[in-house]
Amino acid sequence: MKVKVVTKILEANERIARENRRLFDNAALFVINLMSGPGAGKTSILEKTLTLKTGLRIGVIEGDIAGSDDAERIEKHGAPVVQINTGGACHLDANMIHEVLQDLPLQDLDLLFIENVGNLVCPAEFKVGEDIKVMVLSIAEGHDKPLKYPLMFQESSALLLNKIDLAPYLDVDINKIKKDALSLNPGLKIFEISCKTGEGLSAWTDWLKEKALRS
Amino acid sequence: MHELSIAQNVLEIVSEQCTRSGHTKIDSVNLRIGRASGIMPDALIFAFDAIKSDSIARDAVLNIEEIPVTGLCNDCSHSFIVQEEYILNCPACKGSSFQIRSGRELDIIDMEVS
Ligand SMILES: [Zn+2]
Repeated sequence: MKVKVVTKILEANERIARENRRLFDNAALFVINLMSGPGAGKTSILEKTLTLKTGLRIGVIEGDIAGSDDAERIEKHGAPVVQINTGGACHLDANMIHEVLQDLPLQDLDLLFIENVGNLVCPAEFKVGEDIKVMVLSIAEGHDKPLKYPLMFQESSALLLNKIDLAPYLDVDINKIKKDALSLNPGLKIFEISCKTGEGLSAWTDWLKEKALRS
Repeated sequence: MHELSIAQNVLEIVSEQCTRSGHTKIDSVNLRIGRASGIMPDALIFAFDAIKSDSIARDAVLNIEEIPVTGLCNDCSHSFIVQEEYILNCPACKGSSFQIRSGRELDIIDMEVS
């Protein structure tokens, strides 16, 4: 016989994401799901964000397929950090986040970064309970990315165009990236930044402060 | 990878619903998967077949209906199907500002049990 199911496949994940959301709200914590392809510079951006005097108490969850190098880099800056190894999975899901929340001093933080596994395809599908998604794209990745991964651009609140110092050496059309990203998501906030020269980083942290302290 | 976690979710949901409806065997499962969901149907079927053997879905066939990506133009309100892998412009006015209206589905619709 036929049985109607009519369920979102990710319903279980979304239920746990809502539970995470409740814990974050109880701690008045603003949470950012930081996403990018491999090598776009997410960890460097977090390190820079931690060294700039934002006055924000920042915690980090590091998601990687394996290893703890990124968490060690964050720990050097004195921020509470937890490492999650996904054991092959190409994204973090709500349950992985739920399991480590007890290891972070949520009540003592203003802002929590969840650094997702480097992958442009699927992290956007798996909500983890975040307030917003922020996407990092290194300009070295080329200008076809927005139209190739529209979901990621549509779901993000901000886009960090990283490694902007490389622009003179690359055959990349930064205006095309910005134009395509904005046509997919007119509300997208775009920051052109360089972790090497420091360009654009204070605009980014000013925006972060405004977002985190309003929550 | 991605398809494996989706397949695990599908298997859990259908197994639970089958048991709850008082049945012991799943014969087929019908899914609706959007082309912009990041899921490759063949890889999902492969993953499902790999994990179903010890479950009440061991003989189940996974049927996938692929949902095209449709856009709605913000400039001229033309509704269109995105044919290419890349999304370029509204076919009517060539505008580049549009919303994606479908193509992100990841849904289980129904199943055949016995
Ligand atoms: Zn149009």
